[in-house]
Amino acid sequence: MVSTVAQKRLFHEYKNLSTNPPEGITAGPVSEDDMFYWEALIQGPEETPFEGGVFAAELKFPRDYPLSPPTMKFIGGGIWHPNVYPNGTVCISILHPPGDDPNHYEHASERWSPIQSVEKILISVMSMLAEPNDESPANVEAAKMWRERRPEYEAKVRDEVKKGLGL
Amino acid sequence: MTDDEPSLNIPSLLTLAVVSYFVLRWFLNRDDNSAAGGRGRGRGNVVDPASVAQIAQMFPQMNTRDIMWDLQRNGGSVPATTERILTGRGLETPPPSFQPQVPIAPTTIPVAQTASAASVSKADGQDLISRYNLSAKASSPSTEDEPETPSKTAWSQNKDERQRLLQKRRDDMILAARRKMMQKDQGNTQ
Repeated sequence: MVSTVAQKRLFHEYKNLSTNPPEGITAGPVSEDDMFYWEALIQGPEETPFEGGVFAAELKFPRDYPLSPPTMKFIGGGIWHPNVYPNGTVCISILHPPGDDPNHYEHASERWSPIQSVEKILISVMSMLAEPNDESPANVEAAKMWRERRPEYEAKVRDEVKKGLGL
Repeated sequence: MTDDEPSLNIPSLLTLAVVSYFVLRWFLNRDDNSAAGGRGRGRGNVVDPASVAQIAQMFPQMNTRDIMWDLQRNGGSVPATTERILTGRGLETPPPSFQPQVPIAPTTIPVAQTASAASVSKADGQDLISRYNLSAKASSPSTEDEPETPSKTAWSQNKDERQRLLQKRRDDMILAARRKMMQKDQGNTQ
């Protein structure tokens, strides 16, 4: 019964994202047989080193979605970014459940709640690409580079962008 | 004495009606409750404090007592209560007789996945072209005149058709980005 609520909700979100997709975002289940596993493509925001790139990520939804948030992980090369773990997992406040704030710097309103959506997550991730959050580095190396050697960071990101497109 | 009979009968009939009304109501209520409580949460004011806390955290504006009342009536189903709040129906105010037994413990829900993903499972160093099998399309002469805007709305009543549309949008997005990047590179070298 729990999973029907989740499935219905996910299907509804899938439909909305398909009929009215936000700029630079494509997302949906890999196969409708499993509504709990999605793949999304996000365009790199303009006027950032990610510009021109397309990034693929997988979204895994829990059975009690939308009570709990999905997890999101970049695939196919990962992403060089302070808030993305080296294995591609995205660390951003909207993906954290409301009760879970070990560091006490996130406001409850920024975190996951059932009134959020896949679309909001993807848009948040897009703006995260443009503006890394220095407070909670998931990739310490990338965070350090971003802070101290910005040109090197940007060059590395541009390089990854090209690699991701097979160039 | 025949005069006394009616005066005795009417009150007793009334009493009988009132009593049977309450008995019936009790009976129906009991049935409702036990049907709803089919998930193992028996009758009585037993509501899982964790569920209450979970909902209260999501909707801080909601009255805890209302949440408990709704949970108790739907058999302790968090999704059902959440659904109800989200659809804007709101929660009913419980009758004054409703005395929840559980103290509102400030339980924080134990959440397992606190970025446990730090475990280094090396990201597969695969680019999008090979991942989505686009090498054939990517290497084909770049059709310059192809419209860059992806097909507008992509929704169909047919499941397979939907799948195909999604895949097409995905492929188009990657290929368009690749074409653009190549053009930019050529522009830089010239």
